[in-house]
Parts: sequence; structure tokens; C-alpha cells
Amino acid sequence: MSEVIVVTSGKGGVGKTTTTANVGAGLAMLNKKVVMIDTDIGLRNLDVVLGLENRIVYNLVDVVEGKCRLKQALIKHKKYPELCLLPSAQTRDKDAVTPEQMKELIEELKADFDYIILDCPAGIEQGFKNAIAGADRALVVTTPEVSAIRDADRIVGLLEANEMKQIDLIINRIRMDMVKRGDMLTVNDVCDILSIHLLGVIPDDEQVVVSTNQGEPLVGTNSLAGHAYQNICKRLEGEDIPFMDLDVKKGMLGVLKGLFKKN
Amino acid sequence: MSNEVVIKSNRSGLRLILDNETPFPELLKIIGEEFRQRESFFKNASMAISFEGKELSVEEEKKIMDVITENSSIQIVCIMDKDSDMEERMRLQAEAVRDYVLQENLAVLESMGGPADFYTGNLRSGQVLESPSSITLIGDVNPGAKIISQGNIVVLGSLRGNAFAGAAGDSSCFIFSLDMRPLQLQIGEYIAKSPDREKRGRRLLKKEKNTASSYTPQVAVIREGNICIEPMTKGCLDR
Repeated sequence: MSEVIVVTSGKGGVGKTTTTANVGAGLAMLNKKVVMIDTDIGLRNLDVVLGLENRIVYNLVDVVEGKCRLKQALIKHKKYPELCLLPSAQTRDKDAVTPEQMKELIEELKADFDYIILDCPAGIEQGFKNAIAGADRALVVTTPEVSAIRDADRIVGLLEANEMKQIDLIINRIRMDMVKRGDMLTVNDVCDILSIHLLGVIPDDEQVVVSTNQGEPLVGTNSLAGHAYQNICKRLEGEDIPFMDLDVKKGMLGVLKGLFKKN
Repeated sequence: MSNEVVIKSNRSGLRLILDNETPFPELLKIIGEEFRQRESFFKNASMAISFEGKELSVEEEKKIMDVITENSSIQIVCIMDKDSDMEERMRLQAEAVRDYVLQENLAVLESMGGPADFYTGNLRSGQVLESPSSITLIGDVNPGAKIISQGNIVVLGSLRGNAFAGAAGDSSCFIFSLDMRPLQLQIGEYIAKSPDREKRGRRLLKKEKNTASSYTPQVAVIREGNICIEPMTKGCLDR
């Protein structure tokens, strides 16, 4: 039985697309058949993050409008053949698709894939409604900032109102040094406000920017964020993985820097 | 069923519609038969009775009553006048009793702060809970959410959003929360906002967090034209 997961956040720029790409790739690494659907019609970029933008011929809107077959629009990932992308259209807007059409599309994909991951656009309008229509499960991505948490809270409320079966939280871009200093909300603070199940914590990592620009998912590489995404994938698979210690030991240089900062 | 006697029932009793042409002794006989036939239906119900269609003397009414009790186990409670507004009067009487009970219950409720609604779950950003009665919420009110009541508000959880008690203008209402950290409070015509976020030093945030984890139940009331947040202690709502 395939699982349909929507990655959403409300606020933009918190890492929905990055999370979609990495979770998708991570699950593919665990030998699962995965399809990612970019539902951000008009502002597509999941293809860019995955480094597949040059292969797009047909897109989501073409499929829905019957201009091509579903199989024609699916793009296989260059590294993981089990990983597919259904890109969105860049020339249209969110109203080009209805929630009913999305449901139909997802039903069709269920036959061939273990995981269907939907990358939701920011906001709570038509695009959001399309993205959540066929989903069984939601991953709410937030950063430890009050603005992102406020939006995430709204999203959780809307998901609950739409009877989403399972809602999990991913806290992205946390900086343990700032948390320690008391300049950033802690994981507990965020969980306290949102009161939903925590699926994973991703540390702020320079490598994320590098991997995005290169169009290579971070997951599987030897970076802190990469490990964190891998753990999330394993948890999605039902494994019980403890949360990792994000507190990296500072090198000599770091200690010196710290000393100077205090004075 | 004979045409001479028609038995009808309404909410509060029986109506006997008697044929004016038929002589009284014959009517009596028919009534007896009718009631005997329905004995099992009526069982020993107690009800009021009324007569229509024929002028009856007090003596005749008594005779009919005797016949009914002879032939069935119905308890006749009283005889009502036959006129058409009888039913109306019965209804009014029944309503008066009901109203009285209701008033009494309401008075008890009123003394305890009026009727109240119970809700469970968290109010999330953008959600509004509105009620004409007092509200008890088991859960949190998150920032961006609003809870509005014409009566009191009790939040068994964190109040981090907006709360408006006494929305119809009643300034004697209160707002209670286990963890009082609202953005805005409104009681009746008074409004208060939370203190502006200070430019906090590094340590300040930590300190604040400590107090938040060991929060005390607090209640907001109007004191001399201001909204005051006080610790919830015994008798703090009596004035």
C-alpha cells in the first residue's frame, strides 16, 4: 500500500522543497519506489533542486489536461532510477488544477509507487488545497522562528480541519549554538506550541546551499543535515531512530572565536 | 366506533365528544362500552377529561365519571371545561410549570456564572471560537487564534492568543488560564495588550523560559478600570 505524503509549511523559504527532495531521495536509497510531485504551479523549483530541469518535456498540467500520458511526464532521477519527478508547469497558475483532479492523479500513481510525495506551495490558497487533497499524511516543516511557527500552526489547524490522518513536524535550520545562548527557540519550545509529533530536526548546514545549487540531494552524504534527512526517511519507514546529537564539538578555532566574542 | 361518542386525546387529557341528539342514558351505556374496549390501551393512566357537544349537568358529568372508572382503571384527575381554548389553557399551564422549573435551574446556573460550553482541543492560528455562553477550553489557544465569549473564559492550557470575555459588554467577566501569556485580552469594553517584546539580552530569554515552565494559574479581571492579571487564589473572584 502506497503512502501519500504532503510536505507543507505555510510560510515560504523554510525548506519544503529541500525537504521533499531529500526525503524523496532518501526513501529511494532505501529501495522504495518514490514519485515526487511539484504542486507549485507557476513557481516550480523542485526540478532545479534535483538537477532535472533540463529534462522536462511535459508537466503536471499537461497530464491533468490530457495532453500527454502520465508516464510521459514522469522524469527518472539520474542517480536513483526508482525516484521519479512529476514537475509542475511554469507558465500557468494554481487554478489550472482542481483538488479532484489531483486526487485522480494520485490514485493513478498509487499503483506504481510506494511513496508519493507532494511538494506544497507556500500559502493557504488553491495550491495548498490541491496539494493536500489526496494526501494521507503531512509533514509540516518549520524553522525555529516565531513567524514560521505561526504559519505552521495555521497550517496544522487547516490540516486538522481537512481531517488529515497523520501530521508530523520537521524543524529545519536549527542552530544549536544559538539555542545554547538563548537566542533561538529550542526544539521543545516549538513542539510546545505546535503540539504535534516531531519527526526530525535538521541542523542549519552550509552544505544544503551547496547541494541545492549543484542539484544533488544532500541525503546520503557525510554531512549533519544529510544524516538528519536519512534518519527522517528511516522513521517514515517505521524504524525507531533516536534523535541525533546536533551539538558539534567546536574545533580549536571555534573555541578561540568564542573567547573573542565574550569580550 | 359509534358516532354518538367520540373519544379523542391530546397531550394533557381526553376529550369526549358527545352527540347532542342521543339521550343521556344511552350515551352512558356507549361510553361504558367504549372504555371497556380500550381498557388495556389506557391501563391505569391518570388524565384530565373534557366534554364537548352536549350540555351536561354536574350530576350527569359525575355519572359519566362513575361509568368510566367502573369500566376501566383510568384515574380521572379533573374535569376541564369543554371550550376550544381549553387545550390552550392546558398548554399554558404545562408551560408555566416547565418555565418555573427552567427559571429555577437558570437561577442556579446564573449564580454559578451562567450556562457554559465545553470544548477540547487546541485553537490554532486563524481559528476563532465564539460562544454566547461561558467557555471552558481544554487545550491551548495559540498565537493568532481567538476565543470570544459573552460570559467567562476558562482555558485549561496555555493562552497565547487573544481572548475576549464579556463580549456583550459585561465587564464583570473573567478570563482564566493555566498559563497566561496572551497577546491581547478584552473584557467587556476594556482591552489590554501584552507588554512589547523587549530588546532582550542574551540571558533574558533563558530566564523567561524558566518561569514559563513553572507557570502559575492566573486570572484576568477588571480592577478599577484596568485589566489585571492575578494569580488564581481562593476567593480572588469574590468582591
